[in-house]
Amino acid sequence: MNPLLEKIALCVERGKVNMKSPYPPDLKGQEGADELAKRALDEGLSAKSILSEGLMVGMQKIGVKFRDNKVFVPDVLMAAKAMNAAMEHLKPYFASGEVQRKGTIIMGTVKGDLHDIGKKLVSMIFEGGGWEVIDLGVDVPAEKFLKALQERPTAAVGMSALLTTTMINMESIVREIKKTYPHVKVMVGGAPLTQDFAVKIGADAYSPDPQGALDYLNATLAA
Amino acid sequence: MTPRERWLAILSGERPDRIPTDYWATDEVTRRLQREFGCPDKEAVYTKLNIDGLYHVDVPRKFPGHPDFPGADMWGVQKKLVDYGSGTYEESASHPLESVLTVEDVHRYPWPSPDDVDFEAVKHSLRKAPAYRMVRCGEFEPFLTYCAMRGMELSFMDLLAEPDIADAILGHLFDYHYRLNERLFELGKGQIDIMYIAEDLGAQSGLLMGLDQIERYILPNQKKMADLARSYGIHIFYHTDGSARDVIPRLLDVTGIEILNPIQWRCPGMEREGLVRDFGKRVIFHGAVDNQQTLPFGTADDVRAEVLDNIRIFSGARWICAPCHNLQPVTPTANIVAMYETICEYGTL
Repeated sequence: MNPLLEKIALCVERGKVNMKSPYPPDLKGQEGADELAKRALDEGLSAKSILSEGLMVGMQKIGVKFRDNKVFVPDVLMAAKAMNAAMEHLKPYFASGEVQRKGTIIMGTVKGDLHDIGKKLVSMIFEGGGWEVIDLGVDVPAEKFLKALQERPTAAVGMSALLTTTMINMESIVREIKKTYPHVKVMVGGAPLTQDFAVKIGADAYSPDPQGALDYLNATLAA
Repeated sequence: MTPRERWLAILSGERPDRIPTDYWATDEVTRRLQREFGCPDKEAVYTKLNIDGLYHVDVPRKFPGHPDFPGADMWGVQKKLVDYGSGTYEESASHPLESVLTVEDVHRYPWPSPDDVDFEAVKHSLRKAPAYRMVRCGEFEPFLTYCAMRGMELSFMDLLAEPDIADAILGHLFDYHYRLNERLFELGKGQIDIMYIAEDLGAQSGLLMGLDQIERYILPNQKKMADLARSYGIHIFYHTDGSARDVIPRLLDVTGIEILNPIQWRCPGMEREGLVRDFGKRVIFHGAVDNQQTLPFGTADDVRAEVLDNIRIFSGARWICAPCHNLQPVTPTANIVAMYETICEYGTL
């Protein structure tokens, strides 16, 4: 593999954002994902290879380590920050269609629930897995999911809840979505959820960790 | 035995007459129980259900909110009431330290002072404490406040990328709580039984942050706070949600916790048998009645079976029966009653 892409992957995995960033201490003063992505493009590497052989490789590594409790929330957030810094340089290539993502997923924390971080971590892992994420934020009612689906009818939906009082709101949201879009895949997650609950409310998939949800997306929906 | 005597017995390693019980619930649940049982107040609910709940000393401030930020709490964080259908809860809606870039910015922030606490009201509250209840006073959960003030994402990233800012913010939060708790403990000398130290270090299936960050940012201040409480003869109650097994040895060795709450045994690593085997001699388990599945979505029989399991599993250790965190409005009253009735019926020691 191209050494520049390997370096980009490493910067994402280690959360090295840019040259200015003091973290991680052992890479202080070195180029980060930001500068390296720009340099890769300048040197003629394709945006597609930067995404799939650089950013996605780094994020895959951090996602697996997170699943295995080898790294924790701060590490994933730093990795995503580094990925996003590089992704900025790829934006024109997504806009022009030169680089295609695997598909789109609409994410939201359900109505009545303001807990954001779990859903964001999953979104970051999805983006790092080559998916486009449309994040509807928190306290999202069924109508908002439906409106987003109207614009992206081939997208999948991911929803999150942290509370026992709000996870029960998922049932009616899944029902509403399936009524209008029976083929749209709906994934659910969040601390109190279980596989049994996901089945009971008619969701298509549940995962206790973001990497498992990404594996499901890749296996069932990747274009 | 009185509720207080039960707690004190278990804390000193003696055998109470039955397994002590405690109560954690949202206001909606407490109001519902009062209404359904015809109880005029929470104390009457405690009596009806044989709950050995604690007496919380009020620590009000002389004025509400923050003088510089209208509508905000004492830390300068705006709050938003969120309706989840069967009740409401408060969430942070602004993060006043979100744009802080330097340690100097942190020091310049208008931090609250313990001088703003209404200590006359504290004295009054202490005087009202019933002799038969454990008296709880003093709290310390700085990273929770940190997240509210700074926003959760930045807070977690600070631990890696901005150690100086993290130290500065945590330093201010520690100073406030240390100075406040010292005055509270002095004021309530001989009257306060227990203080709460908390920090949610566990997620559903593992730690939220790495052990090295916990070691670096969380434990040293917890130890200082616990040492202060211990110097007044006050016991240390510790709360962390989730799958926190990996940090328990350090909480025991460094912070010196005596009671660990809430024992979410469905989380990987928090299996009750293993905790009893590895830590049962050193810590009192508090909670352990599952509040993610059994209490809200199980039947009263499921709750009874779980309490009986707990009685058996914790028989070689010390356990205070309580829900794993606040009972929520989705939990049927029959399940709550079943939890406390089972202890009364089968929890005699």
